[in-house]
Amino acid sequence: MKRHRILLLVWLLSDIIVFCAAYSAAYFLQVGPILSTDFVFGKFFAVTLVIAPVWLVVLATTRTFGLTRNQATIRNAAYIGYSSLVGVALFTVGYYFTYKEFFSRMLLIYAFILSGGATLIWHILWQQIERSLLRRNPPAFPTLLVGVTRESRALLKTMRERRSALKPVAILDGRGVKDTEIEGVPVLGKLNKLEETLEKKKITHLIQGSDLEQSINLLSACRNRGITYIVLPSVFGIVERDESVESLEGVPVTVVRPRARWWSWFLR
Amino acid sequence: MHAFILAGGFATRLWPLTESRPKPLLPLVGKPILTHLVENIPKDLPITVSTNAVFADAFHEWQSSLRPTPYAPIQILIEDTRHDDHKLGALGAVAQWITDAKIDDDILLLTGDNYLGCSIDAFVKSARPGTPLLAAHDIGNLERAKQFGTVVVDKSQIINRKSQIVPVASFEEKPPNPKSTLVSTGCSLLPRSTLPILLEYAASHPDNVGGIFEELLRRKISVDAYVFSEPWFDIGSFEAYLEATLSLVGHNVLSGENAVMEKTECAGSVVLGKGCRVINSTLENVVLFDQCTIEDCDLRDCICDDGCELRGIDLRKKMLRKGTKLIRKD
Repeated sequence: MKRHRILLLVWLLSDIIVFCAAYSAAYFLQVGPILSTDFVFGKFFAVTLVIAPVWLVVLATTRTFGLTRNQATIRNAAYIGYSSLVGVALFTVGYYFTYKEFFSRMLLIYAFILSGGATLIWHILWQQIERSLLRRNPPAFPTLLVGVTRESRALLKTMRERRSALKPVAILDGRGVKDTEIEGVPVLGKLNKLEETLEKKKITHLIQGSDLEQSINLLSACRNRGITYIVLPSVFGIVERDESVESLEGVPVTVVRPRARWWSWFLR
Repeated sequence: MHAFILAGGFATRLWPLTESRPKPLLPLVGKPILTHLVENIPKDLPITVSTNAVFADAFHEWQSSLRPTPYAPIQILIEDTRHDDHKLGALGAVAQWITDAKIDDDILLLTGDNYLGCSIDAFVKSARPGTPLLAAHDIGNLERAKQFGTVVVDKSQIINRKSQIVPVASFEEKPPNPKSTLVSTGCSLLPRSTLPILLEYAASHPDNVGGIFEELLRRKISVDAYVFSEPWFDIGSFEAYLEATLSLVGHNVLSGENAVMEKTECAGSVVLGKGCRVINSTLENVVLFDQCTIEDCDLRDCICDDGCELRGIDLRKKMLRKGTKLIRKD
């Protein structure tokens, strides 16, 4: 946990540096390799420094810093793009209200492209560094998988290949699967080993992959020990990856809709 | 004669109820299954309970709870195994005990997770000297019989009509195609003359308790069956546990010490453990262990371990682990 907090802090600070560097690059791209007296770099950078933390908060609201978020996805790129757009708007308003001066619109386009692009690239790079450090033994987030199914096997494979921040360290299976290990993760037995495994392996995350009837008990064990509980949709028979977690009158619900045109996504 | 109770299983099918206690110590209608069994054993028989190291403390605690005891001394024999794959095997445990304790006596062999409605005293008294005897019960279902040792008896040669002693024609342990719905109930008597055969057989089949009867019959040693019609339950699963409770409690409510129930509708069998508190709820075939709090809930076919707290929840067919808290927040 401590390791993750330190890495998160470094990540946030580095993002501010990347943001300021991107805006500085936009300035010099627009003005040229000089310090203009008409459009003073000092004033420009001061506003950038002030709005950077606000931009970071906007970025954080998209949950891009989430432990399980994969940075190299279109969705994540869209969130970063949205935050960069808000950053540009914040800069425009901030600069105008501070100095009552107008400036080049091209600069804003450069700032948007450079801050968005640099942030995305940095996030993808940082993800590799962070995951590598979090998975180093002893792993920061030892994870227990309960229930061996085709879906959970596939998940283990994906987690290994993508070097997930959650490192599976043990598997339990209510029905007693015959494998002794799956994707390099040891199968320790049936659910009667739950407490022992949670204790010995210092589990921080539990992923339920089957045994629907035991959901309440697994959740209870997690609540008692402050463990994060994750359940695969396949436990409920949802295997087509077309589910989404939405809100029904403020209550979070898992939704599976009939197939529709792509643009209907905006009208749900 | 010496009674030997097998109680060394890890009982994974009844998880999470067996998370903090072994299966023979699960409460059934107000007291542990093992206590039901021990109370049924003739008082003058010494008893040995064989278990594994994981549950050693629980059995010692249970033993203490029986004091002052009207029974003959109970010895807890701890098999030094902590995992399923290290077990001696049920028959292996019997053989080791016979060897280590130098037993040279008839053995009453019992399974700690079985509820026997018949009198063990009557069973023991029905035995013919030198003839192995097993208690058999007709479960009336060939499909279910696949899970047990099935017994085919020769009804033309009933030995004692009053106590239903019949020679066993054949015995099959967990057969894929049972020939009979009469099953062995985990209660048998092995005369001392058969102990060398048991030791020999256990060396090659340490897990197969029922197999000893196949072996005896193979060696042309006659085996008798004591056929009884009183209730019998092998409490190996959630369904079996509820079925046993329904059969023993009937459509009634059984309340433990200091249990409180207010504004609650009950159907089927309902068992409340010590200090349970049930308010404004609907319960149908529900067993609550000790100190549970149920408020504004609808529970059907549920078993809740000690200290569960449920408020504003509907549940069906669930076993809840010790200390589960489910509190609906609107």
